[in-house]
Amino acid sequence: MILSDLLGVPVTDPAGAPLGRVADARFVLDGPLDGQLAAARLFGLLVSPHTGSSFLGYERRTMRAPYPIAVVLRWRHRGIFLLRWEDVERVDRDGVHARPGWTRYDATID
Amino acid sequence: MTDEGERLPRPEYRGRVLDAALHLLDRQVQDVHGEPVQTADDLEIGDVPVGESLEGAERPRILAILNGTALSTRVVGGRPPSSTLERIPWRHVADVGTAIRLTIEADDVDATWRERWVRDHIIRRIPGGRHDPE
Amino acid sequence: MKGLFAVALGVLTAIGGFLDIGDLVTSSVVGSRFGLSLAWVVVVGVVGICLFAQMSGRVAAASGRATFEIIRERLGPRAGAANLIASFLINLMTLTAEVGGIALSLQLASSVAPGAWIPVAAFGVWLVIWRVKYDLMENVTGMLGLALVVFAVAVFLLHPDWSSLATQALTSPVPAGESAGTYWYYAVALFGSAMTPYEVFFFSSGAVEEKWTLKDLAQSRLNVLVGFPLGGLLTLALAACAALVLMPQNVEVTSLSQVLLPIAQAGGKLAVAFAIVGFVAATFGAALETGLSTGYTLAQFFGWSWGKFRRPTRAARFHLTIMIGLVIAMGVLATGVDPVQVTEYSVVFSAIALPLTYLPILIVANDPEYMGEHVNGRITNVVGMVYLVIILVAAIAAIPLMIATGAGA
Repeated sequence: MILSDLLGVPVTDPAGAPLGRVADARFVLDGPLDGQLAAARLFGLLVSPHTGSSFLGYERRTMRAPYPIAVVLRWRHRGIFLLRWEDVERVDRDGVHARPGWTRYDATID
Repeated sequence: MTDEGERLPRPEYRGRVLDAALHLLDRQVQDVHGEPVQTADDLEIGDVPVGESLEGAERPRILAILNGTALSTRVVGGRPPSSTLERIPWRHVADVGTAIRLTIEADDVDATWRERWVRDHIIRRIPGGRHDPE
Repeated sequence: MKGLFAVALGVLTAIGGFLDIGDLVTSSVVGSRFGLSLAWVVVVGVVGICLFAQMSGRVAAASGRATFEIIRERLGPRAGAANLIASFLINLMTLTAEVGGIALSLQLASSVAPGAWIPVAAFGVWLVIWRVKYDLMENVTGMLGLALVVFAVAVFLLHPDWSSLATQALTSPVPAGESAGTYWYYAVALFGSAMTPYEVFFFSSGAVEEKWTLKDLAQSRLNVLVGFPLGGLLTLALAACAALVLMPQNVEVTSLSQVLLPIAQAGGKLAVAFAIVGFVAATFGAALETGLSTGYTLAQFFGWSWGKFRRPTRAARFHLTIMIGLVIAMGVLATGVDPVQVTEYSVVFSAIALPLTYLPILIVANDPEYMGEHVNGRITNVVGMVYLVIILVAAIAAIPLMIATGAGA
């Protein structure tokens, strides 16, 4: 599949209630070596409750300025969280479904 | 960053974190000498079986950086036919910074066939095209 | 001289922004109709372009990324493509105007009809982009463009009443016989042309062409602080000349030759010769800037290889884009359109391109992954945000003002 198939799709909890949309896909270079780099494996999805639009880099803690832009983007993405891939039950035409017992993780990185 | 102001738990990352849209999509891809090759128009990732339980399935990996028709569908929507996608396999990626650096030369990347075509059929035939500016 | 050449990139960039054929005529139009009452707009524009050009130069020096690369990277393909189309059209319209402008300038020098000069002008621009080394190109056009300083000299030779000029500039009255609508239309047009986006495309790409690194930040700052204020000063000199000579006689400026009238009165034939050299160099420089910028924007959006520092075979699509741009420019000019009029309508596209260019520059200049410790300081960010608001207001006001005033008629 291609990445655009995941971005922007709706995410629901096990009961079918909407959680938001996929704002980004987080990969971690923690796989076996693939060429010069470790394989990049899907770690989880950033789920934003209010928008599927871009965060323009302000998901990083180190990105704080200019203050008004940071405030507007953080407000648009308020409540964003990381849904780990192991907490995803299945992906189908309606979107991504979290499995029972899933955890809401902090989405920010440094 | 959350509505309630509560602190969510932070997961443990055992390697460098790359957010696909933030760190990879739309970045410049350069060859081993720093020559521009293309932009990362999309990523090909390992297949996720649609509608099936992912219990026990492996985490999908980034297989390749895509170019070409992947861009037009991101602008106007739809899905590119898989056969028209041009791929740079992940094993050719040397580093990800403000640009994505490859371990191979631009001319060895399939996606640069248009650049090579324009070079060989037009630019090379104009006097002076093969020399450094003076 | 070496010191002068060190700021050639800034001077050439500013010439393309402030003294291209459209601006040469518009500045005189504004001077003859509004005196110096719009001088404040030029000052606001100079500060704005200095601020953002310096940011774009700093991003290029710190990360090696030119402006359209970061536009695509930060805004994504949709907003990026919207900006690409608008910016590309501005580049192309200005390039067309400049090729015609070179022909008009050469006509003033030779009295050979401009139609004959157009292919020569286009070929000359192409040849320089194709074969001439980057620093030679910027040094020659930048230095010859300085011949326009004759307009500043002319202001002194005309022995103006300095206090009334100063009063005009400081109190900014709307002159009798002009409506507030036309006043603000020209205010927006002057501001848009001072901050026209190809200046940052050209400046940041030039920084990459010259292989600037963090060690060159001081040079970048110097280029910005010499080039753009000089461009602004010459704009004001053009307007002041027109205000002193053409305004009292109620001359309506419509052509390049009328721009020369105050110079002839102040300094005679020699001064006119200087001014014509300046016109040729400025329009040629602006043609190089916009011609290269058509290549820069397209190549950087799609990730193609670009740059004059590479031989043309190593940047094939970049050079092909520029050639096609020049052919289109010649085709448009062959229809007999007035080059000065062509640039007037680029204001419409600036409304889209300005915000979508300066927002990503401001954001990336704050991104430590690109900038390391060289992120924007607090004051730069405050002023940058103020300008973003001004740009947004100007962008929103541009099209209604243009329609309401019939493009300032």
